[in-house]
Amino acid sequence: MSTLGRLWNVFRRTRIDDELRQEIETHLALIERDEQAQGSSAEQARTDARARFGSPLAYRERALEAVMATWLEHAGKEIIFASRRLVRSPVFTIAVVLTLALAIGANASIFAVVERVVLNPLPYPDSDRAIALDHGSQRLNIPAGFGLTPGLYYQYSERSRTLESVAIYQADGATLTGDGEPERIRVTRATPSLLSVMRVPPVLGRWFTDLEGVPGAPQVGVLSHGLWLRRYGHDSAILGRVVLLGGIPIRIIGVMPPSFAFPDSRVDLWIPAQVSRAMGFGLWSYQGVARLREGATITDARNELTSLIADVPRAFPGDVGALGNAQTNLIVSARTLKEATVGGVERALWMLFAAVGLVLLIACANVTNLFLVRSEVRQREVAIRGALGAGRLGVARLFLAESVLLSMTGGVLGVALASGAVRVLVRFGPANLPRLNEIRLDGVAVAYAVVLSTLAALIFGAMPVRRSGSMALALHESGRTSTASRGRHRARQVLMGAQVALALVLLIASGLLVRSFQKLRALDPGFDARSALTFSIGLPDRNYPNREAAIAAHHAILDGLNALPGVRTASASTCLPLAGGCFGNTVQVRGRVLPPNTSPPVALFRAVAGGYFEAMGMRILRGRAIERQDVERHAPVVVVDQAFVGQFFPNQNPIGEHVASNRPPRRLGESPELVWLEIVGVVSKTPIFTLVDPHPLPQLYMPMSIASVPASLLGPDVAVMSYVVRSTTPPTGLLPAVRRVVERVDRTLALAQARSLQEILDRSSAQMAFTTVLLAIAATAAVLLGVVGIYGVMSYLVTQRTGEIGVRLALGAEPRSVARMIVRQGGLVALVGIAVGLAGAFTGSRLIDSLLYGVNARDPAIFTATTVTLLGVALIACWLPARRAARLNPLDALRL
Amino acid sequence: MRRQSIHRDRITSVIRVGSSAQRIHQVTNESLRIEEGSLYPALLRMTGDKWLRAEWGTTDTGRKARFYTITPAGRRQLEEEEQRWGLLTEAVNRALRFA
Repeated sequence: MSTLGRLWNVFRRTRIDDELRQEIETHLALIERDEQAQGSSAEQARTDARARFGSPLAYRERALEAVMATWLEHAGKEIIFASRRLVRSPVFTIAVVLTLALAIGANASIFAVVERVVLNPLPYPDSDRAIALDHGSQRLNIPAGFGLTPGLYYQYSERSRTLESVAIYQADGATLTGDGEPERIRVTRATPSLLSVMRVPPVLGRWFTDLEGVPGAPQVGVLSHGLWLRRYGHDSAILGRVVLLGGIPIRIIGVMPPSFAFPDSRVDLWIPAQVSRAMGFGLWSYQGVARLREGATITDARNELTSLIADVPRAFPGDVGALGNAQTNLIVSARTLKEATVGGVERALWMLFAAVGLVLLIACANVTNLFLVRSEVRQREVAIRGALGAGRLGVARLFLAESVLLSMTGGVLGVALASGAVRVLVRFGPANLPRLNEIRLDGVAVAYAVVLSTLAALIFGAMPVRRSGSMALALHESGRTSTASRGRHRARQVLMGAQVALALVLLIASGLLVRSFQKLRALDPGFDARSALTFSIGLPDRNYPNREAAIAAHHAILDGLNALPGVRTASASTCLPLAGGCFGNTVQVRGRVLPPNTSPPVALFRAVAGGYFEAMGMRILRGRAIERQDVERHAPVVVVDQAFVGQFFPNQNPIGEHVASNRPPRRLGESPELVWLEIVGVVSKTPIFTLVDPHPLPQLYMPMSIASVPASLLGPDVAVMSYVVRSTTPPTGLLPAVRRVVERVDRTLALAQARSLQEILDRSSAQMAFTTVLLAIAATAAVLLGVVGIYGVMSYLVTQRTGEIGVRLALGAEPRSVARMIVRQGGLVALVGIAVGLAGAFTGSRLIDSLLYGVNARDPAIFTATTVTLLGVALIACWLPARRAARLNPLDALRL
Repeated sequence: MRRQSIHRDRITSVIRVGSSAQRIHQVTNESLRIEEGSLYPALLRMTGDKWLRAEWGTTDTGRKARFYTITPAGRRQLEEEEQRWGLLTEAVNRALRFA
């Protein structure tokens, strides 16, 4: 009979049994009649019938066994008995279930994050072969970050043998109008080849064709699933519709699946990057991705592309850009797309994963200890069972039933906890976690929790079984003795020491991170993050064809903002701190000649409206700020930051000196005409990418009216400006009023990225905050569990030795010396644990080093503080039971 | 079930459980004595294996009883077992002869 049928019959047991009973009754009646017919008396007939039939009960059982998976039934019974036993000791049960639920929940939730973010960050087929392409320059001493130029894209896609396909893309923002409210959306311009690199087809419609990627082709766009849902309500009639993007009509031709989030999950729309080979080498304004050919390694690709770069001047004859770039000794930087996406957070997440793993170990050690104690209390019962013929297997089943029941209950609770925890993690997780929004407790994570629960059950269920080996020993030990045997305690002490060691490792790691975080937050960002609202506004080229029109619009908006009640001052810049490099170029200082064969230094340029430093709360260290009049007069002035002074004018006064942004020559050999700007002030340094930057680039601020005109100066584009509104009221409350101001100037403009300056600052340390908080929680849990473990073991020890202690006290031992004896015993184990933990933390310090800021991974202060704390807590946990021992009444103790 | 093969020509495929053990007893010249209850594990298992089909009915005395019918699958199984049994007994007989 099939196993499935047997299993199914378990549920039909009552019915099968009833039928069998009835059948047998009939059978017996028939035999009786038979016997009577042969002349037996009624009574004799019944006895004979019984003799002929045998035992109805036994045959019924055997018949059931023939068609039923009875082992399951037995297991069910064991579980029911076990649950009754557990309900009778609620404290034990609750302690174990909660401990396990916390540990399993923590593990399952971190696993869910690791699974999505680290193991499986890219939802693309064969994503191992997707690589991110980047370039740097040897002579400029910049290893990477240039990106790609259209010319290189053609060079690679036409000639490379190691790459199957190459694509370049560019992130952009634009205002969507033409249907409903104007909305600022994130657009990615990509070559049509992006589809063959990523290999993800649209869920609706189609992707761009090669012809649509040619300059002058009719504009088309592919929607992200998010935008399709949000703005067009899942309407498939969107295909073929024309929307206005920055005033330009665009026909929607497809919708991507929700999982397609390239380059990140915030993209709303993809449009073709219209480039052609005829455009020459071009500018470094794109980023690149590629797919490796089957069998090719990333090193192969790097070597091949390096040789292709050497050929660039020949591939673009007469192209100034190609030649100039080749002279800077370009370097190819290629890494897997996974590394490029996950790189920074991977280590932190693995560390958290290890941390919760340790917490689980501590929890298991705790529960094992509780089980050991419980099994010892039940030694007598176990011994009697053994004496009555229960095999080792039967006894094992007894304990395993309990441990399975407990761990499964813990597991179920843990999964429930984890599903809540994952939601919190997603909500508060740092934005640079890839696929953060997709993290959920899926089947794999739940399966992981089930495996953990099963393992846990085996670990602490097997321990007592192993120990209940010899019956003679069990009977001996369950007898009345006043001391316990030596070997019995060893296991518990090892577990207790291990708990202390693991807890100390976690505590030290968390202490180091907390200190790093404090140092990070104590850094001076160079601006005042309090009470300021920021948002950005992009002016579509079509309605604002030149710089003057753009400046006029920005001024109109700023005037409106400055007139709002509660606004102290408002200004704007092409780029805010912590938003990236925005615009960088090489600079020249008037009167200085570069030594031959050195490359000109790079600086970052910002175009600002008047009063920007005041609105940002930046400090003017020397000279003056850029005022509204500078903007209106197109004054050729510039304000530099501390880093600029440090690099170009160390220990000198830079005010009155002149600098210029370099421009490429129009023709080979011709030196370009430069526009010199006078330095009028020095301001505090603000962070560019991250709060911590060991080599900050120098920064320059110029009036927005002189930026971005090719004839005069290469500078940032003022079409998109980030506004800063410093207010006396809570900044986000200003938003509706701000929106009205902008609408009054131009109804088609949309606000983007509205948030407080504080949020931008917080976000820059969000990842460390995330890691720190989670690790601190793990460490706290570890210490708590460890303390509970120590307390439990020591209490048990005292209970076990009650008789002995009674004798000591009766013979005149001082209560204090009794207490000292107990504390010494526990303290020794804790000390050994601490020594092991310190050794572990010391050797493992390399692992955490890259996550720290401003703190040595072997910082003696933190090592000392955490060790002392843990030792103190451990001693208290020993002292409480010791005090109880000291207060024992010798008479009561001996009577026990 | 062996009984059935012995009487295959004569008896329909229905076994009335009430007296089948007794019949085994009779047809084997009283050399095999088994308790009647021992039939039930076998019957239930064979029903589970779909070799027998069980139906409720009433006996001539009006009691509810289960009637078992052999299925085609059961018949095939029976033939196989018979063959195997034949081979085995033959082998044993030969071995005994040469012993």
